[in-house]
Amino acid sequence: MLQKKICLLGAFGVGKTSLVRRFVDTIFSDAYLTTVGVKIDKKLLTVGGEQMALILWDIAGEDDIAAVRVSYLRGAAGYLLVIDGTRPETLDTAVSIQARVDAEIGSVPFVALLNKADLEEDWTISMERIAQLEAGGWRFRRTSAKTGAAVEETFQELAALLAR
Amino acid sequence: MNARLSLAATQAPGEPSEAQQKARLAALLLELARCVDPNVAASEPSRLEDDPRLDAMRRVLLERERLALARLQHKFDDPNELADAVGSVLPAAFALAAAQDDRLGLAISPTVERATQASIQKNPGRMVDILYPVMGPAIRKAIAETLEGSLQSLNQALKHSLSWRGLKWRIEAWRTGSSFAEVVLKHTAVFRVDHLFLIHRKTGLLLAHVARDDATTRDPQLVSAMLSAIQDFVRDSFDESASGGSSGGIDSLRLGDLLLWCEEGPSAFLAAVIHGTPPAIVRTRLGETLGSVHDQWRGALEEFAGDTAPFEEAEPQLRLCLLSQAAETHKKVSPLMWLIPLLLLAALAWWVGQRIIEGRHVDAYVASLQDQPGIVVMGAERRDGKWLVSGLRDPLAAQPEALLAKTELDPARIVGRWEPYQALHPAIVLRRLQATLDPPSTVQLTQDANGIRASGNAPQRWMEKARAFVQTLPAGAPKVDLSALKDVQDPDYLRLRDAIQAQLIHFDFSVPRPAADQEAKLDAVAGYMRELVQVARDQGFPVKVTIVGHADATGKDTSNLALSVGRAEVVRSMLRARGVDPSVLAVRGAGPLEPLRPGASEDELSMNRRVSFGVSTGD
Repeated sequence: MLQKKICLLGAFGVGKTSLVRRFVDTIFSDAYLTTVGVKIDKKLLTVGGEQMALILWDIAGEDDIAAVRVSYLRGAAGYLLVIDGTRPETLDTAVSIQARVDAEIGSVPFVALLNKADLEEDWTISMERIAQLEAGGWRFRRTSAKTGAAVEETFQELAALLAR
Repeated sequence: MNARLSLAATQAPGEPSEAQQKARLAALLLELARCVDPNVAASEPSRLEDDPRLDAMRRVLLERERLALARLQHKFDDPNELADAVGSVLPAAFALAAAQDDRLGLAISPTVERATQASIQKNPGRMVDILYPVMGPAIRKAIAETLEGSLQSLNQALKHSLSWRGLKWRIEAWRTGSSFAEVVLKHTAVFRVDHLFLIHRKTGLLLAHVARDDATTRDPQLVSAMLSAIQDFVRDSFDESASGGSSGGIDSLRLGDLLLWCEEGPSAFLAAVIHGTPPAIVRTRLGETLGSVHDQWRGALEEFAGDTAPFEEAEPQLRLCLLSQAAETHKKVSPLMWLIPLLLLAALAWWVGQRIIEGRHVDAYVASLQDQPGIVVMGAERRDGKWLVSGLRDPLAAQPEALLAKTELDPARIVGRWEPYQALHPAIVLRRLQATLDPPSTVQLTQDANGIRASGNAPQRWMEKARAFVQTLPAGAPKVDLSALKDVQDPDYLRLRDAIQAQLIHFDFSVPRPAADQEAKLDAVAGYMRELVQVARDQGFPVKVTIVGHADATGKDTSNLALSVGRAEVVRSMLRARGVDPSVLAVRGAGPLEPLRPGASEDELSMNRRVSFGVSTGD
């Protein structure tokens, strides 16, 4: 079976964990996030007729105090960057995380998730900024932890990127 | 300058024709083409000889290249220049060659090996300095693990050395010839390796997983990633990566009965989930397996990108690490558990058998004692681990110890308690007779149906002693028959007796002193008597000489009696005076009552006036 290590990254409180909860298998409690700073989930997919296991490293959110542990990123084949559409600063964090990951493990495929799509009317995030980043090679997906919209598809998309 | 030269060249030979001009131009162009294209140079011969101007032309045209070539030539010819040039590109060349394939590495590896060897031979200290940072931690780790292993076994050895189990293990160690610690470890290290995860270090992805059939686990892929994350966490938290290098991280982790052992390698690590307390050999096995996995799948590990298929082949190797010692004490010990009661039973049977055999031997011994005359066995019983045989024994009976020596019994285990008594068994009476009477060699004492018979010859005095002894035997004792004994006297005694008894001392009428001519006879008698006393003393028998005085029949009987006594007394005195021991001498007066001749003639009367001697043994 093909396995890939995927990191789930984003600012603190963007809803990474709740976003994937419904779509992944896990045996660990959320307590790991606050203790070890990472929680492992697994997502099984079929890409091109072949099974693939995405081992998701749900890494504790970054805030002013805690930066993402670099060692958890090592060996990642790709990552998901989660951004809270209602909090523009989380986009800045995402950008800084992306830069750090790039520096740390090199250029690997990633997808940026604009979360809380169900609250799109409350979004304060700058669409021009999004467009700018998209032009720079970023892929954005609008997802909602609440409705689960586009989460499955995002996984599928990332898996397809990795399988390439 | 080019223009000037070419002009000079064209004008020098005078005024050539137009056709010549064209031909030259063509040749020039051809030469140029030769210079530009090597293919043309190969197919077209040079025409420089045809036209010297061409050479000049070439020099003009290729001046820069010629200089460059000269510079290059110089670089090649001068070793310093060449070394400088090669040195400046060598690092980049190596990097490029190494990036392409392994050929460079293969080509230089023998040289590098030789260089290394030479370097070590030249200065071993330097190599030690270089290797120390690498080897140091590895050696330390190895020593620490060895120590930990020994401490573990020491602890267990101490813990179990005084228990019943410990005793059992001591016996086993003695039986199998192994050390006590080894036996303790063998039995106490109850453990079971349930799971083994081979995890890619960099990605934390599970390469292979083997588990005992009855072991359950949640998703091994998740477990392996989490384990990897925790390793990273520990490494980061305690900054192990900085100091310990690859050896950092969790080495072992215990949660109650559950133990996690991690063995780290350069590209992958092995995590073993173990129940119980494993011995150090498990760790060794993990290390060996990880090493062999690294050896066999080096390429696959280095290029690992998520495809775990190549590592499926490693599973049989990993499976060998699923060691266990779980049921040893319950399952494997069962034959031993059977063996112990069997051994005990055998020991008991042996003991009982020994007892029975010993009892039989004791019975045989007692029977042999009973057969002995003069021994009466009253009882034989076990007391304080020994046999006590008691009874009555005549001191002249056989020695019980001598009988015991003939049996198979251990003399130390038999105690005899014998009350002395006097037996009336003919054999003992016979022995007693022999012991008491010390019969001469001419006497045979034999035991027959009626009692004891003495036969042969014996001196009278011995016979008297024997008779006296027989008298003292208690009533009911076997009859001792001495009648067949013949009296035999000592020849010296007989000779002296006869000599003495042959002598007569004569007296004149009515005179108590011997006649004057009797002195010689007295001397002779005294000589015989002294000799007799000596013989009796030597032979140890009493002797008695009775001096008997006689008178003739004339005169009154009373005076004759007194006269006879007087004559005997006088002779005694005279013998005494001649050195005869007076204690053997007795005196008796016979008066005229024992005449030598019955007649009344003077000769006959004279013959009767005498002293005679009677010799006897005994009192």
